Amino acid sequence: MTALIATLRRELASLWLTPLAWILWLALLLIEGGVFASIVTSFATNPGLTLDVGPLQAFYGQSVFVPLTFLFVCPTLSMRAFAEERRTGTIENLLSAPVSAAAVVLGKYLALLVSFSVLWLPTLLYPLVLRSVAEVEWKVVATSYVGIFGLGAGFLAIGVLCSTMTRSQFLSLVLSSGVLLAFIVLGIGENVFDAGFLQAFCSHVAIQSQLMETAQGIVSARRMIFDVTLSAVPIFLSVRVVDSWRWS
Amino acid sequence: MIEVQGLTKHYGSVVAVNNVTFRVDIGTIVGLLGPNGAGKTTTLRMLAGVLGPTHGTISIAGSDLLESPLQARACLGYLSETSPLYPEMRVGDYLTYRAAIKGIKRRRRPDAVREALSSTHCDDVIDIRVSNLSRGYRQRVGLADALLASPPVLLLDEPTAGLDPNQIREVRELITTLRQSRAILLSTHVLAEVEAICTEAVVIHRGQLVAHGTLQDLRAGHRAADVALVVRDPDRLTPAICADLGWGLRPDAERAVESPSVDAGETLRFVVYPEQLTGSMGSRLEELVAVLVKSGVGVRGVNQSSRALETVFAELTSEVGTFAP
Repeated sequence: MTALIATLRRELASLWLTPLAWILWLALLLIEGGVFASIVTSFATNPGLTLDVGPLQAFYGQSVFVPLTFLFVCPTLSMRAFAEERRTGTIENLLSAPVSAAAVVLGKYLALLVSFSVLWLPTLLYPLVLRSVAEVEWKVVATSYVGIFGLGAGFLAIGVLCSTMTRSQFLSLVLSSGVLLAFIVLGIGENVFDAGFLQAFCSHVAIQSQLMETAQGIVSARRMIFDVTLSAVPIFLSVRVVDSWRWS
Repeated sequence: MIEVQGLTKHYGSVVAVNNVTFRVDIGTIVGLLGPNGAGKTTTLRMLAGVLGPTHGTISIAGSDLLESPLQARACLGYLSETSPLYPEMRVGDYLTYRAAIKGIKRRRRPDAVREALSSTHCDDVIDIRVSNLSRGYRQRVGLADALLASPPVLLLDEPTAGLDPNQIREVRELITTLRQSRAILLSTHVLAEVEAICTEAVVIHRGQLVAHGTLQDLRAGHRAADVALVVRDPDRLTPAICADLGWGLRPDAERAVESPSVDAGETLRFVVYPEQLTGSMGSRLEELVAVLVKSGVGVRGVNQSSRALETVFAELTSEVGTFAP
């Protein structure tokens, strides 16, 4: 546990000591802030608008920008996790230390999760601002963040796995972006295919559908199991890959 | 303290290390020697737990590295060849982090870091970012990292690479001091370093162990001596006199005096294998000089030296290596 916490703290310091995390933060807040402002403005300037959802549901569940921010935030945050260690050779120091591969992988992964959460933290201000002019359903806010965190955790895990597969940060970024893009494209299949296995499969992995559900205050076991699997399988594989370096 | 049995590493069809067996006890500094690509770094990386062997066993301070990896790795300090560090971290923070993952208790960490930095003479860089350190300082911070937690086994890959002469002397003194309570295995290309601080040497060539023993034993196994005679008139060195140079040798000792040659104008060089001489080296040389003086060649100086480790190394590894992992 000491090694895990030490790795987590080092990774956090390393992420936030470089400009990368700050640039990501700025970009994310600019995009999400702009999207939220335009949604609220749209609702305010069209009082006759009759929709099933309010501005918060529209922001968390229907805006295409939330899944798109996953596409640049998760791969960029996770690309250096192991690729950089292997490129610079510092991985030798880790492998020769009395620490397990699982502790190293989990330490790095938890640091990414904390950073991801910090990136999204300021968006909590949006419902707080909205509260001054309208009633806010806090349950919707809470479940929306559960959905965002669940998907983010899964995509960061995929990013960590991609980072173990190459010494190049850029290649790691391309790999994990490709996988995430595949999920987004598969999600579109939910509305393309007729009812059947393919449609059910695409619906199961659709990011937008999950975000829409959680934005309506629904947290289903099926979605949560999907998110946990999306995190656990890549992290397990990452541990195996790191262990396998000793035998390559 | 370090026991290696039948250590073998294959990279595909290439055998990088082949059935290497040796032991390093507490109180000894063993130099790991070999030409480039001989398998030294691969061997050290396997001992450090960075690479797994294809066959063989490694025991570190009584713990099997494959069966109890965490326990074994807790007993070793490893300085890798390039001493890689995290450039964005300050030296003190880096070593505190390393102390934490090496299991040093939180209360002990500041002292452990200070002691390690002090022993490697880099206390003054504790607040400097690693990216701003010179090559020499990086090397010493890497060494300080290896010394954290006072491990009983030290594996040092080129510990003095990149250091200036004063730093080299200090690091050598430090390693010699550390020897008292540790088993130290160091890889180096600098044979003078091995002669200066090592008590034993392991020579690897093309992945195979070709010699292991104390430096005296290694020299004894190759007890040839270089003899250089400075002669006054090499033109008088006729074939008949050259034949006389074999004078005083046993009939079966053809190699006792081999390849007499005249080079550099006036210097006559010999390689002499004393064990094949019938008498002592001194008396044989005396007789040799007498022959040369009597024949009018004249002798102005005699220089006899036992073979340097460099020569022994060259003889052991005369073939060109074929693989550099």
